[in-house]
Amino acid sequence: MLDKSKGLSKAREIYQNRSHRVKELKAEGKKIIGYPCMYVPLEIITALGLVSYRTYGDIAEPVTEADKALPTAFCPIMRTCLDCALKAKDDFLDGMVAIHSCDPQDKTTRVWQSYISYPYFHLIDMPGTLRTQSLEYFKGQLNDFKKTLESFAGKELPSDKLKAAIELHNRQRALVRELYKLTKPDPPLISGTEMLQVIKALMSLPAAEGNELLTQVISEVKERKDGPEKKPARLLIWSSTLDNIDIMQLFEAGANVVMDESCGGIRAYRADVKLTDDPLDGLSDYYLKEITCARTFREAVFGEARKDYIADLDSRFGYLKDFIRGWNINGAILFLVRYCDPFAFEMPSLKDYLDHLGIPNTYIEYDYTQGSLAPLRTRVEAFLETID
Amino acid sequence: MYFAGVDIGSTMTKTVLMDTNNKVVSAIKGPTGPEHRQLANEVMKMALEQANLQLDDISYIVATGYGRLNVPFADRQITELTCHARGVLSLFPDVRTAIDIGGQDAKCMKINSGKLVNFVMNDKCAAGTGRFLEILAATLGIKLEDLGDISLKSTKKVQISNFCTIFAQQEVVSRLSEGEKLEDIIAGLHDALASRVAGLARRLKIEPDVVLTGGVAKNAGIVKAMKENLGCELLIPEDPLLTGALGAAILAKERFSKATAKGEPIPTKPRRLEKATFFTKETS
Repeated sequence: MLDKSKGLSKAREIYQNRSHRVKELKAEGKKIIGYPCMYVPLEIITALGLVSYRTYGDIAEPVTEADKALPTAFCPIMRTCLDCALKAKDDFLDGMVAIHSCDPQDKTTRVWQSYISYPYFHLIDMPGTLRTQSLEYFKGQLNDFKKTLESFAGKELPSDKLKAAIELHNRQRALVRELYKLTKPDPPLISGTEMLQVIKALMSLPAAEGNELLTQVISEVKERKDGPEKKPARLLIWSSTLDNIDIMQLFEAGANVVMDESCGGIRAYRADVKLTDDPLDGLSDYYLKEITCARTFREAVFGEARKDYIADLDSRFGYLKDFIRGWNINGAILFLVRYCDPFAFEMPSLKDYLDHLGIPNTYIEYDYTQGSLAPLRTRVEAFLETID
Repeated sequence: MYFAGVDIGSTMTKTVLMDTNNKVVSAIKGPTGPEHRQLANEVMKMALEQANLQLDDISYIVATGYGRLNVPFADRQITELTCHARGVLSLFPDVRTAIDIGGQDAKCMKINSGKLVNFVMNDKCAAGTGRFLEILAATLGIKLEDLGDISLKSTKKVQISNFCTIFAQQEVVSRLSEGEKLEDIIAGLHDALASRVAGLARRLKIEPDVVLTGGVAKNAGIVKAMKENLGCELLIPEDPLLTGALGAAILAKERFSKATAKGEPIPTKPRRLEKATFFTKETS
């Protein structure tokens, strides 16, 4: 009998009803802060005793309300997020923190805030490069965020409390990495679909509860006898946001997804925040540098046009080499959402890098609608047939 | 022994029956219409009749095309990309680039060492597909099958600047009222379609031999425009509509023979032509 109160069953249940826990916490008097992007430093929210909650759209919900507020030829992910908000699906939020990771996000959240006035709203600015001045600037931005959130929470955030929150979130990152080790075997012990449900569940729970869930899942998966079936292809999926199991199941109909480098996968958990004297140093360093989203301009050497193309590619994407080797990956799908410029511009370079590594790869674009699932299926199947 | 390939495209359904010597014993084409689940049975019945065979005579059946999941009697589904590549390869052994322009899509395939190695499909809109010509033919009050020959009469192509099929319609009407000749406008439309498809193909490296297939390849005006836009020679099969079904039949034979040679049983579906009354999710 499946015990829905723990492990994979619990993750599945949370995936299907994501706001259940935060609504409970709200009824207990907790304040819920929404965030649309993994670049937002959750540690600051956690440390002030608030509950962070990732806002998502819904592929099954036709966009009907967002068109009055946003252009249509526009990031479908932010459109559906706003659409759901306008349909009062996030009405338990007390505030929202957005970050200038990309234009659609910061523009949409401004529109969002004008339609739904949360008691708390803050936009964190984020530089586009990893230069020294960028880090200094970003640290200043995080400090400003800390100040406005302190004001909202009605209390100051002492350094030691922030450090404790950093350790708590680092623990979560370490647990996620431990879980990903369980996709190394052939076949993997946990499927991409199950992993997606777990990660989405983590984004719907307070950090400590997320860690508890992860611990349960890890021990359950280690013992299980009913893991995924072995398939010939072991795939890396590279994507911006990947938040729906319908899509994941299309990938997994003919392959094992052993690594998903996306915001619904390992991207936000790949490394840890360094424990620095001033915790804001560690936070600004981690969030700006270690989250490998295409929105950041990475250069091997500051100010120098890199003459060696492969060396430049290696400096930008080298971390994928560890995944490919460590997880015995034999195919990659670069999964783009329509109108996403940062990822579309990054894709050809990544494709070149994967070609250089000898990993068969293809890029597929979808528009975050149910209608795009059938063509997606054809393209995924055709790609798997080429590497069969 | 016989093998079957069923290609359910968005516009046309094609079935090819083949013997062990790769000889096509029957080939049937029919418009898909909205009820392709029922149609797959009809087309198979006609193909069997034409070859004087029973369904039990067919050792292995592969379905392809967008409707491939709705062929209950198919033993296996393989995407149209792999099937077209295989079909084209059997007709033109030196093919490296295959371009298929269908009723509602266009695809380009790179072939190397006897198999599909890369592909790209259009996924933006109707421009660059057969639908573009259908709509514009209707706008002009001309039969679709006459468009190509009319375009070949042109001496001065009229550039159609709008990529969108719907906006191209508007542009065509205004060019006509400006006094442009019909054949020049139609030549421009052919060029617009060809340039869309050539743009798609250029995402892969275009290497000879280049083969053009799909219903649209029957249009001589398109063939001319494609050669101009790609800047190379094109090979066209005798029946450009059948390469998908042909490839599916060949793959059916190959899979069956491989399994037999290994002494492995290969699962097959019951040999019954039942109407699929609902879409069933593929069970792996």
